[in-house]
Amino acid sequence: MAMPVAQADVAVIAHIKSNFSSLTAKQVQDIFMGRTRIFPNGKFALPIDQSSPLRAEFYEELTGRPVEQINAYWARIMFTGQASPPQRLPDDEAVLQTVRENEGAIGYIDKTRVDGTIRVLLLVQPWKP
Amino acid sequence: MKTIRSLTTMLLFWVAITAFAKDSYPDFTVTGFGTLGASGTDTSQLSFRGTTKETPGVTDSWGFDSDSRLGLQLDAAINSSWHATVQWVARNTTGDFLEQNLEWAFLRWRPADNLDIRAGRLGFDTFMLSEYRNVGYAYLWMRPPHEFYGGLPIYHFDGADIAKKFTVGEGIMTIKAFGGHSFIQIPIPNSSVIADRSLSIAGGKLAYEVGNWNVRMSYSYLLNNLELAPLQPVLDGLNNAAVNTVWPSAQSLSQQISTKNKAFHYSSIGLAYDDGVWLTQLEASYIDTDLITYPSVANGYFSLGRRFGKLTLYSLFGISETLNNRVKFSNPLAPVPAVAALQNSIGRLSNLIGVDEKSISLGLRWDIHEHIALKTQWSHYWLGDNGTALWLAPASGPTPDMVNVWSVGMDFVF
Repeated sequence: MAMPVAQADVAVIAHIKSNFSSLTAKQVQDIFMGRTRIFPNGKFALPIDQSSPLRAEFYEELTGRPVEQINAYWARIMFTGQASPPQRLPDDEAVLQTVRENEGAIGYIDKTRVDGTIRVLLLVQPWKP
Repeated sequence: MKTIRSLTTMLLFWVAITAFAKDSYPDFTVTGFGTLGASGTDTSQLSFRGTTKETPGVTDSWGFDSDSRLGLQLDAAINSSWHATVQWVARNTTGDFLEQNLEWAFLRWRPADNLDIRAGRLGFDTFMLSEYRNVGYAYLWMRPPHEFYGGLPIYHFDGADIAKKFTVGEGIMTIKAFGGHSFIQIPIPNSSVIADRSLSIAGGKLAYEVGNWNVRMSYSYLLNNLELAPLQPVLDGLNNAAVNTVWPSAQSLSQQISTKNKAFHYSSIGLAYDDGVWLTQLEASYIDTDLITYPSVANGYFSLGRRFGKLTLYSLFGISETLNNRVKFSNPLAPVPAVAALQNSIGRLSNLIGVDEKSISLGLRWDIHEHIALKTQWSHYWLGDNGTALWLAPASGPTPDMVNVWSVGMDFVF
């Protein structure tokens, strides 16, 4: 049986000078779900979310859950005063700009928008149980 | 109460004068949540209510009250380690509408990545959902399981908590301790009386989150600082010297009935599993008390749900049983009418207020939009003799031993 080729369309990106070359899907999940606020190297992480349709694709591929479940999760965390969800920017361009300017920033963009000004930490693969 | 109010005013003022700062700190966000819900039953002899803090509940003449609410939250990230949060919820409550509905108002200090220290008004984190019962969008059901949460009128307390997270294996363990004071106002059934309760609270929880699993155990100690006002005439009667000559056990009975300086012990365990398709949750608790008017009670529920795309179908089973709710006391030596009346009122006090409730529910949640969910739920309740303390019963007359409750609602966050 022919397996469908896993196609990664979302790239997780960080500042070009970040001193680690990649993150695992679990590490990215922990940062974007607010379970940790630091990178593996101990530096403070500033996750940047999007308000574009790419958001749903990113979370569904990263966690295997529909974006409504991610929103319900954050509603619980946020309205019990534990943490705030990542700041949202409107599109890839805004995320790219913020990541270029902030060493601690970590964001995600459409793979086709990747250029040499930022570092790719992970190509998000469709989630497998 | 006054301290909380002036604290909030100061916070709001400070928010107003710093709102135009250009740095990323302080960073302000306003968010909110709400539920518009309507419920009805098949009886006019009992009113269904979400918790014992609410009146008048709904009957066969339907109503919007029980589940509907609107919450607003203001968050201020002062810098990377200091944060302030204020949350106020417009909802059906008893007592001071502004003060009793101020759910959160605290400052949080995060000296290290995994350590949180908060002070101010905080949610009462004694069961899995007790901190976010108002946020319907964040849970599956129409409302938190009635048998488990209906008898918990305490939503918040004024004090402090400390929470530390540890990485244990593949998961994260949280240890939390809290302490403070809660002032709550509750309705006294069949009267317009509002009882003030003042409680000292101390407790802790241990939670572990790994993969699709979430498990927790917690314990809270509550000390009742005030006499329940409606009891005072009865207690005065029992302490009366003349009454004691006719009824020698009266005075010791008054000590038994008194609620002042009596303690509650809340112990609970909870387990939740969610793999994105199947979700299940169960909790069990035992509330041990020394109060005759609020006897010890054991509660539990089990829920199983399955997602079909944007639809989630769920079932829920709940049980709550008051233990040892029959009080035995010796009879007066002589049949004096005033003493007999006193004896009757004690009989009513000690034997009316109990919970004997089981239910099965079926429901549907439909996530029609990223931030809006529609829900509908049918619940069938079995109620035993003197077991309707979570409901509002008429002063006299028989109450049904089975009730159906239907609900529809819309939950949203913004």
